[in-house]
Amino acid sequence: MKRLHTFKIFILALGIFVTGLNHSTVAQLKVVTTLPDLASITQYVGGNHVDVFSIAKGYQNPHFVDPKPSYIVKLSRADMFVTVGLDLELGWSPQLLQSSRNSKIQKGNPGYVDVSEGMALLQVPTTTTREEGDIHIYGNPHYWLDPLRGKQIAQNIYNHLVQIDPKNQTDYAKNLKTFDDKVDQKLVEWQQKMAPYQNTEVIAYHNEWVYFEKRFGLHIVDFLEPKPGIPPSPSQLVKIINEVKSRKIPILINSPYFSSSSPDVVARNTNIKIVKISTMTGGYDEIKNYFDLFDYDINKIVSALTDNNSSN
Amino acid sequence: MKNQYTLHILLFLFVILFVAGGALKAQDSTATDSVTIEQIRKQMGETQSKEQKTPSPTQQTHSARATSSNLNPDISAITDFRSLYTSRGDRNWDAYLQGVELSLRAAIDPYARANIYPVFEGDQGQLAAKIEEAYLQSLSLPYGLQLKIGKFRQAFGRINIVHQHALPIIELPVASEAFLGEALIDQGASLSWLLPNQAFYQELIVSVTRGPDESPLFAVSDHTVPLKLVHLKNFWALTDNATLELGLSGAMGSNEAQKKSKLGGIDLTYIWKPVRFNTYKSFKWQSEFFFSNTKTASDKKINAWGMYSWMEYQLSRRWFVTGLYSYTEDPNMYDVEEQAASATFGWYATEFQKLEFGPKLYTDNGFSKVTFSGLFRWVFVIGMHGAHQY
Repeated sequence: MKRLHTFKIFILALGIFVTGLNHSTVAQLKVVTTLPDLASITQYVGGNHVDVFSIAKGYQNPHFVDPKPSYIVKLSRADMFVTVGLDLELGWSPQLLQSSRNSKIQKGNPGYVDVSEGMALLQVPTTTTREEGDIHIYGNPHYWLDPLRGKQIAQNIYNHLVQIDPKNQTDYAKNLKTFDDKVDQKLVEWQQKMAPYQNTEVIAYHNEWVYFEKRFGLHIVDFLEPKPGIPPSPSQLVKIINEVKSRKIPILINSPYFSSSSPDVVARNTNIKIVKISTMTGGYDEIKNYFDLFDYDINKIVSALTDNNSSN
Repeated sequence: MKNQYTLHILLFLFVILFVAGGALKAQDSTATDSVTIEQIRKQMGETQSKEQKTPSPTQQTHSARATSSNLNPDISAITDFRSLYTSRGDRNWDAYLQGVELSLRAAIDPYARANIYPVFEGDQGQLAAKIEEAYLQSLSLPYGLQLKIGKFRQAFGRINIVHQHALPIIELPVASEAFLGEALIDQGASLSWLLPNQAFYQELIVSVTRGPDESPLFAVSDHTVPLKLVHLKNFWALTDNATLELGLSGAMGSNEAQKKSKLGGIDLTYIWKPVRFNTYKSFKWQSEFFFSNTKTASDKKINAWGMYSWMEYQLSRRWFVTGLYSYTEDPNMYDVEEQAASATFGWYATEFQKLEFGPKLYTDNGFSKVTFSGLFRWVFVIGMHGAHQY
């Protein structure tokens, strides 16, 4: 009788253990991304199965993030690391990864996701010299600003999620499809809004909008930075002011992390309107996710151009 | 009895159902994502072909391709050129190359990386080649451990681990020079442990090395007396914009006189850097205190202490100003003191080039005579150079 009792306790304990195991297997994957847009897309694809943390804030210059040791703690516990790649984060993410002591997220393992895999890139330099400023040798890395490329990002994240966590493949596939469908649906809406403003000439602060420009039909004529990463010089501002006046350029787009002093100089000397938009999710309070990013930016641009048309 | 067996069978079935349920969940149909993948490929193809049809002079469509050159290490060369005026001595002005540092960094394999820093440095422009650091660093040890093997800067405090070209001051504080020399660099092994602390970052580093070639306090022993070092780093992210670091260090080893030397240190660093405008504004306050106990050849004990404190303020995107004060006793001689104060103005053309200049006041024993120096340096980097420690 005593033996039977022990046996029962054993069976119950086993049941509880297996239940516990089952719970631990449904526990969320810890994902650390370099940028908040990658975090947002990972959240869409991973759904409830992922717990995502972005190192950079949406209002932070993604080239210059400080590699704080507190990020090492996050990375040391991560199951997956998602990066834009193409040397965008070269100044800070390699050091954090090396210090993480986490082999799961080192390059070459399923937990290391470079979402630029298979990406069609723009502005790939033919010569690589720093005489051209802070150039990116593989091409312009701000590709997440094209929603169609956002689908490729989601696909790359999906490919790695199913390797790490194959048992939830069905959910990931379903989420990926939902994300893709939403991009398709929203893209139509965004392109319709931008349709009246095709080939509108625009000035930008830094060369980070090329994918957005191509997708939505703007035409960036010049940049406040004379070369990528080089602060605007007085002679560059004079050149821009003359361009704005002669070509009647209606708007200048600026990101949250660049100073407004140089755009203000141009605005004071011309009729150009400064439009503050974001390159990343979280750039402004209203931008909670990847779709909000395009909603916000496009609404701001359309609103500025509409005002400009009505005042002319 | 029969009921009991039925209960056992039910319990077994319960367990089996749980396991099988999990296994069943893991299966899926790939039909849906095949369609999705195909759709993306098609759309990306369309995007590419459209963009390729209408390339503008500055916009071309390409794909990143790996080449055999990707296997080369990241290589950079950092040059530190200086000029100075001093009110002491007969030769009051000089201009010279302080040094050229090469940096070679790459993954060895999936388990480790290598960092090699050959340097050319010397006195008054007479440069000699040496290997400043050459070490392997593990990437995949368990339990939050990381191993370093080779020749490397010892993890004593904060200033010792930073290469001189990356400091916001031109000359080292008199205290760090008195206790660490130009830098405490040694050959051996170091094990770092990332403590599983949920509240804040904590790293414990323990190293055992042979004894440094050049150091005011330590030397290679004629006996089996290695240099033993321990450092505990505590780091708090106070807010998104502000951080605090407190470090405790201790080292023990043999000195030139083949007697025992002990060195203790406390470092405290506060950094304020607003995340949104971190390229335009920042403030850093770094201080270190050193305490030593060393035995002379005649078995006399010398206790000494020293400190430095600097504040670095970023005025604009390109301009920085740093104020430094340092005081020290000589760890090897009784009643010898030094103190110095300097201001350094830094102009950063880009991340790859900076000019620094400023005055320095220095006094030594008795503090009766003040030496004035005007310092200038130009640091420039070519090649792939990674980030420095935060």
